[in-house]
Amino acid sequence: MEISKSYRFHLTFHELTSSQRSNRQQRAGRAIRGPHSALTDFLASQNISANRIREDAEARRNAANASNVQTADAGASSTAGNGDATQVAEAEEAVQVATAADKAAEKKRKSQAAAIDKIKKSKAFKKRKRQDEDSDSDGIAEAILAERAAPLPGQMENCEICDKRFTVTPYSRAGPNGGLLCNKCGKELAQDDKDEQAQKKKKKVAARGTARRQVASNRLDGVIGCKSLMTMCISTLVNNIDLADDLGDVPAQIVDRVARQVAKRRILTPMSLNLFLQSGYEDVTVYDAAKLGADDLTRIFQMVPKLKNLKLKNAIQFKDEVMDYLITRQTPLDSLYLHGANLVSEEAWKRFLVAKGKHLKALRVYFTDKHVGDNFTATLKDTCPALKCLKIAHNQQVTDVGIEHISELNELEHLSIQLITPTSTEPYVKVINSIGRNLRTLSLTGESLADLDDRVLDAIHENCTLLRKLRITHSEVMTDAGFVRLFKNWANKPLTFIDFEKCRHVDSSKPRENAHLNGLCSDGFRALMSHSGKSLKQLNVHACRHISREAFEDVFSLEKEYPELENMEISFCEEVTDFVVGCIFRTCPKLKNLNVFGCMKLKEVRVPKGRILVGMPNAMGMEIEGTED
Amino acid sequence: MAEEEVSKYVTLVSNDGFEFVVLREAVLISPMIKSMVDTKNSFREARLSGRCKFEEISGQVMEKVVEYFHYWYKNREKEDVPDMDIPAELCLELLVAADFLGLDSKKPPPPRGV
Repeated sequence: MEISKSYRFHLTFHELTSSQRSNRQQRAGRAIRGPHSALTDFLASQNISANRIREDAEARRNAANASNVQTADAGASSTAGNGDATQVAEAEEAVQVATAADKAAEKKRKSQAAAIDKIKKSKAFKKRKRQDEDSDSDGIAEAILAERAAPLPGQMENCEICDKRFTVTPYSRAGPNGGLLCNKCGKELAQDDKDEQAQKKKKKVAARGTARRQVASNRLDGVIGCKSLMTMCISTLVNNIDLADDLGDVPAQIVDRVARQVAKRRILTPMSLNLFLQSGYEDVTVYDAAKLGADDLTRIFQMVPKLKNLKLKNAIQFKDEVMDYLITRQTPLDSLYLHGANLVSEEAWKRFLVAKGKHLKALRVYFTDKHVGDNFTATLKDTCPALKCLKIAHNQQVTDVGIEHISELNELEHLSIQLITPTSTEPYVKVINSIGRNLRTLSLTGESLADLDDRVLDAIHENCTLLRKLRITHSEVMTDAGFVRLFKNWANKPLTFIDFEKCRHVDSSKPRENAHLNGLCSDGFRALMSHSGKSLKQLNVHACRHISREAFEDVFSLEKEYPELENMEISFCEEVTDFVVGCIFRTCPKLKNLNVFGCMKLKEVRVPKGRILVGMPNAMGMEIEGTED
Repeated sequence: MAEEEVSKYVTLVSNDGFEFVVLREAVLISPMIKSMVDTKNSFREARLSGRCKFEEISGQVMEKVVEYFHYWYKNREKEDVPDMDIPAELCLELLVAADFLGLDSKKPPPPRGV
């Protein structure tokens, strides 16, 4: 009996070491056969033998027992001296078997640990880790391992949900707890998952669309990264503008920002107007008065008696009756900004100037058809002796005669004119000669200036010494030499704002030729930057397309620096290259926005982080926000 | 020597006595608080290990302000950031507080590591 036991040990040990040998052969060798079921045959074909499994288990159990009693056994055999040889052999074998079993277990543990490590590195693991961040990583790895060790296709398994027994197929789904599901339950789960995914997808796509547009819009607004708390508060406030009764003691500049946002969304109604009318206010700014009637506009003067600065855009309903009401009030108006007030008649303007002109320091009138004309500017001299700022924009009635009247306004510091009817050089020269010495701002824009010539530039050079902002656009006659003369040895301090948009030669038959160097060209640009470069904040040379590449490279050569420049517009300057743009970013540390529409030589620009380049001629779209360090 | 002793956190106290302990780097977005906790100047707040009392700001508002500090700190390097949720009923008070603390986009955020 002992021998047979030892034999069995032998056998199992043998099996353990040569596990590759097929079971079928062994069984044939022993030639013990019982009746076979179909399942046994199937299992046999899969290299699985019930007999062997049983034997393995028994061997392990015995090995464990043997190792426990082994020491006692060994002691007994040594005292017996020449004891039973088989017993010693048995003990030795038991030890061997035990170590082998230990080794196998150790091996298994190691391989499992390796598998878990591998899983931890796998994509599926990372994905699942991301999905539920709170569960610990070992748990996830073990779950994945268990899944992989799930029964192979063809075997039977109990469904995790309904506990029904079913045949595992390669398509069997894993249940929520890692087990397998029967066909029916799997289908139901799949349907649920599908619905959920569809919902998610829908949401995500929608978010991507609006979010992308919002991101693009923010970039163009120069907003990168976090918004400030104030910006977010203001947008929340504007979203809920109907809930607000009044703005309380919010500082004036914030009220102004709220007003801008309200106008941007076009939700300024007679109701929300009240928020901006408090009796203590001195400034009222309505950026979009299109929805207000004449009564609402009159209410402004009723509710804000101390009103000093009034700014109304799209003030269509600002009619004679509103103007007459203003005249009857004691309101000590300092500045009036009216945009789109077409319906105020010439007489009403005159009455207003006579009644209120004495204190008026600033008068800005935009978009009027007929009633602000030469007579209007003629009356300014007598009625508004303190006028410091005059802006007449998009005006159809003022002509050369009207411009000449402006030369009599001796206190004027800021002058801005944008007319529709063509004008000539002489009246502008007269204005600059007589009041140029006081001017801080000179802005001449519009198509009407096409014939403006160098005499204006010379007059500016001779008379103006206090200018901060200079804008002359659309001139086709001014020459490069004129611009050089303006900036060379000019007694004026460096400017902060320069705009020479579209000062260029125009000839549709020979667009590239510019024999007389009309417009702002290379030398004028060099002179400009050497005069004003160090304090310039904004520069616009839009469509000054005869500025050469060499001039750009000179001006923005790396040893120079333009410390204040923040915004720059060089669209349609044809000679701008990738190199020039790179130099611009390097020489202008504060530059935030650079516009390069129509610079077709640009191919690939590396934009520094935090800067915005707008108008690249590529398919990516029109703006690039910098990522380079 | 002072550099060594500076705590990583500052304490912001609201007018109704709520105290919020916030990462020092996160409050630097506010030029107001930055100058208050700056160790180089002689404000009392700096010497008392970064304790700032705000008589004008209630605990409710201060909570949101502190939330913003963390929101800013978390997202300061990112590009497209979702907006923080601001309750409508608080937004006017918060607006005043934001103005008081200088949390305005027009001022550039302070350089990192200051």
